[in-house]
Amino acid sequence: MMPEHTIALERVNTPPAQTWNYLRANDISLMVPSRSRKGDVYFALPRLFGGVECGMGPQVTTWIESQSTDAQYVEVPAGQIRTEPIVASMDTGVMVRAGATATIVVCQDTKDAISQESAPLTSASLVRIIAERNAHVRVFEFVTATDVNQHVESVGIVAGKDAHIEVRQFFLGTQTSAAGLVCALDGNRSRLDLTCRYLARDTDTLDINHVVRQRGRLTRSEVHESGVLDGKAKKSLRATIDLIHGSSGSEGTELETVLMLSDDVTNKTMPVILCDEDDVAGNHGASIGTVAPEQIQYLRDRGLTHEEAEQLYVRALFDEALICAPNSAARDAVLRRATEVLGATVANDLIEGLGLSSLEEG
Amino acid sequence: MQDQLLRVSGLSAGTEDKPILQDVDLTVGAGQTHVLMGPNGAGKSTLGHVVMGDPTYIVSAGSIVFDGKDITEDSADKRSLAGIFLSYQAPVEVPGVPLYSYLRTITQKRPELKMTARKFRSRVGDIADQLDMNSSFLTRELNVGFSGGEKKKIEMLQLLLLQPKLAILDETDSGLDVDALSVVSRGIEAYRQDCDGALLIITHNTRILERLSVDRTHVMVQGRMVAEGPASLIDEIDAHGFEQFEHTGGEQQ
Ligand SMILES: Nc1ncnc2c1ncn2[C@@H]1O[C@H](COP(=O)(O)OP(=O)(O)OP(=O)(O)O)[C@@H](O)[C@H]1O
Ligand SMILES: [Mg+2]
Repeated sequence: MMPEHTIALERVNTPPAQTWNYLRANDISLMVPSRSRKGDVYFALPRLFGGVECGMGPQVTTWIESQSTDAQYVEVPAGQIRTEPIVASMDTGVMVRAGATATIVVCQDTKDAISQESAPLTSASLVRIIAERNAHVRVFEFVTATDVNQHVESVGIVAGKDAHIEVRQFFLGTQTSAAGLVCALDGNRSRLDLTCRYLARDTDTLDINHVVRQRGRLTRSEVHESGVLDGKAKKSLRATIDLIHGSSGSEGTELETVLMLSDDVTNKTMPVILCDEDDVAGNHGASIGTVAPEQIQYLRDRGLTHEEAEQLYVRALFDEALICAPNSAARDAVLRRATEVLGATVANDLIEGLGLSSLEEG
Repeated sequence: MQDQLLRVSGLSAGTEDKPILQDVDLTVGAGQTHVLMGPNGAGKSTLGHVVMGDPTYIVSAGSIVFDGKDITEDSADKRSLAGIFLSYQAPVEVPGVPLYSYLRTITQKRPELKMTARKFRSRVGDIADQLDMNSSFLTRELNVGFSGGEKKKIEMLQLLLLQPKLAILDETDSGLDVDALSVVSRGIEAYRQDCDGALLIITHNTRILERLSVDRTHVMVQGRMVAEGPASLIDEIDAHGFEQFEHTGGEQQ
């Protein structure tokens, strides 16, 4: 028998509650390469991480575990303020002990992309994070590559009492990107601030699944997605705020803004608020559309053509990604992509403009 | 004629179904300061937007000449690059665009303002100081969630950054507290001094004019220019309101 080179990830990246399927936006199915790891010595993560729910679901977890050459485990000791970012590999588990502070960077790495004969060249990241009580965790995700056919990114976070989780996602890559994130606000008063910014152009496909499980009492979640679609891009976003029985006094807000620069894009959004508790609040807002005429006029009054005004929204994505990039690898990745999208002149200007980050801190 | 920076002649304009401006004449010389007054709904803001080139309004008669060139048919971005700046009465919120990205982009369109990103940052920092603004606003989205007064300051910041030949300030002073008002009037003075720019100030409030020497005052009622005079006309309006002109406006119709 020939070794199998490809496996199918069927209907992954699903939300907790499937809606009627006429939108065909409940999930994504992907063909991914599969390489044999026979004979490798492989270190798995501590068992505890097996219980962390990840955004793209168990099939993806199993597949990435089977493809990763090693698992990376990082522990930040109680009370430590770790300033040096933890750089995630293909399979990473981070334990942030009580009262500790950590920054985790998930930067798409195509050097590790999995290639198998006829299978699509695929890069992948699996990141599981446990934040104990009072921990403060910042997660930065950058998907920017153009030299793979698809990218799969699955993140799972568990937050203890009073833990604060901040996530900033930048999905700026090409072809197919699928990314899922679950954040379980298990501890009382734990909170999540998730910002997701994306760009999809040409024939790109972007599939996003965000799930917040609010279990603890008095938890808070703020989930903001916004992005730009152009060309014939297809984007699906599933965003679920799950206010679980017992989460009294909790509040979750989800807000999406989509800007469509072409008539040929496909934009599917499925916001869901699940509520099994009386004393909670779930809010959802969305604004979808082209740039409002009065916004365009304001920009034109200051000297930009219609097209330049639209491109400003794209440049803004990169400016923001650069301001956020916590290490040079992420910065370089964003700049490389910026050069392709905006041209070298603007990208160089972004580099020079990097001094901005110090302005922001000041 | 050379020093006539802006010449609006016989201008009539309005929306598709509503005439607003009728037969308006207005001339502003280079480096001069003019004031445009008039009751609510007279058409002052409309005139500003029509001069700027807002396609919401259709010009049915007349012409606009700026810096020796007929710009009546030009798009707003061309007029902006030619040196006209309109500060909005109500600045538009632009979500998704940080102020920094925006300011850098509009500056880079102007060859005369070419500078390195580094120099640009320090220039913006200086102007922000001058206007008593915290530079942390640079990473915030353009005009989003800013108070009315802060939005007006962001307009001033752009005025000082772009250094246009003509600035039309549409109620730049409304919504400002006393301190902000004095900061902004200092900003206007700085604009006058630094680039010898011309001003057309639309206002209901004469305080902002105290520090400026006004060359000419214009009064608009119901879409028409009904009076024009020296700076002293402002005091007259302050004392007696627009009633005298409203009468004239009625007669002309
Ligand atoms: N886009 C528009 N569509 C419809 N009507 C408009 C539009 N713009 C202005 N108008 C109308 O034209 C008239 C003049 O408005 P404009 O805003 O120019 O007045 P103004 O003199 O600036 O008043 P204020 O002192 O209150 O700012 C008003 O009746 C206004 O409702
Ligand atoms: Mg007005």
